[in-house]
Amino acid sequence: MNTAPYEAAAWVKDCVVEVRQGAGAGSGLTWAFDVVVTNAHVARTGKVDVRLPNGEVREAWVRFADRERDIAVLEVPRLGLPAVMRRDPAELRPGEVLFAIGHPLGVRHAMSSGILHAVGPLPDGFPGPPQLRRLPWVQADLRLAPGNSGGPIADAEGRVVGVSTMIAGGLALAVPITAVEALVRARAA
Amino acid sequence: MPATLSTFSDQLADAVERGAKSVVSVHARPRLPSTGVHWRDGVIVTTEATVRRDENITVTLPDGRRIPAELKGRDAGTDLAVLAIPAGQLPAATLGDPTALRPGHLVLALGRSGDSGARAAFGAVSATGGKWRSWKGGEIDLWIQSDLTIYPGLGGGPLVSPDATILGINSGGLSRPLATTIPVSTVERVVTQLLAKGYVARGWLGAAMQPVRFSDQQGGLVILSVEPDGPAALAGLMVGDVIISLDGHAIEHPDQVLELLGGDVVGRTLKVELVRGGKQERVDLLVGERPRRAR
Repeated sequence: MNTAPYEAAAWVKDCVVEVRQGAGAGSGLTWAFDVVVTNAHVARTGKVDVRLPNGEVREAWVRFADRERDIAVLEVPRLGLPAVMRRDPAELRPGEVLFAIGHPLGVRHAMSSGILHAVGPLPDGFPGPPQLRRLPWVQADLRLAPGNSGGPIADAEGRVVGVSTMIAGGLALAVPITAVEALVRARAA
Repeated sequence: MPATLSTFSDQLADAVERGAKSVVSVHARPRLPSTGVHWRDGVIVTTEATVRRDENITVTLPDGRRIPAELKGRDAGTDLAVLAIPAGQLPAATLGDPTALRPGHLVLALGRSGDSGARAAFGAVSATGGKWRSWKGGEIDLWIQSDLTIYPGLGGGPLVSPDATILGINSGGLSRPLATTIPVSTVERVVTQLLAKGYVARGWLGAAMQPVRFSDQQGGLVILSVEPDGPAALAGLMVGDVIISLDGHAIEHPDQVLELLGGDVVGRTLKVELVRGGKQERVDLLVGERPRRAR
């Protein structure tokens, strides 16, 4: 596929919302009809405000949150946005171009780009809490900042491979989109 | 057809895949392993600062096998260490020419950690320059600085061009917080010396010196102390002598002496021109080998 850089970013941008709860703000990505995915540390429980790319603010509620995997699924009535395209991060090769879209430090819909560092748990001895180190991650060599949390990390074609979640040892860590799928499936069953 | 982002992405991933064929993980410190490059058949190069023990060192190969490696030598000055493994285990690195690098060139840093696959970081060369001396005293042929993030465990790994050639070894410790690369030519020189001797022999005069000026035009280095039985003492140099030239080079700064002593100079006799009591004199000085401090 021939995709100009701006096209992929533009598709993904249309699927990125801002999630506000209390004083905190993060990002979120459209998962399906009326459903948004974000981090559990962005939307803990109950009601949240979701700001759409066109500036409209919708009231939403947390359908469920998984603290361990740090994923929350929001129900957003009348969302009316396309869902993100997804790609299994297991197919990624280190070196592939990735980009993140979110609202770092309150800058709305900012893009940062880099490459895939590795996929899987962090190496033994890597900085970060051991229980988080052992979880599988999409590890990216790109810059995240507070406000990116819950937003997408996508490949060169704009297919989302992970949910930006934290930084460890300077590395951007995203929850693999396949782990989000598994969570959603488990809760639906 | 214009190049697309996907094409570019594939090229980078190809470069990582090809470059990583000669990249190993080095287990020579507690906890997090570092990275090494299979530089020549049976020879692994990594950064000296990441080799924290002399024995019980192992490396993990790209095929996942973990095999013992023997420390052949280390040089803190250039932050390089050399390990030996049995020959024929994996392809040797394809070396490129870092002298062609200019600010703005795109580069990759590769790593490997234990049982995981290759790891990669991407960035651009931010500055290049000529010969420099590290804060630990090693002479490095080229200044290559990039905006790459040398993540934990990536130190000792290669700087790789988008065509998958290896341009040098990335050091996290030589000029923190910048990513600095030890270029191919310096690695070649140090590897040869480490394989032969286990360390890099540096020339030694056995005299402490300080710059001094006679006039606006001329200066030299005044000798402040002389090590008993050292090369300077044996050549008859005395405290208060002012060295004005060494081996035919006018000398006005201690860095010039260090540069001269950094090369292959041990055991050579140098002509020293000096001023003693207002008179110019010449002596021959047999350069010694700098005593090695216990680590």
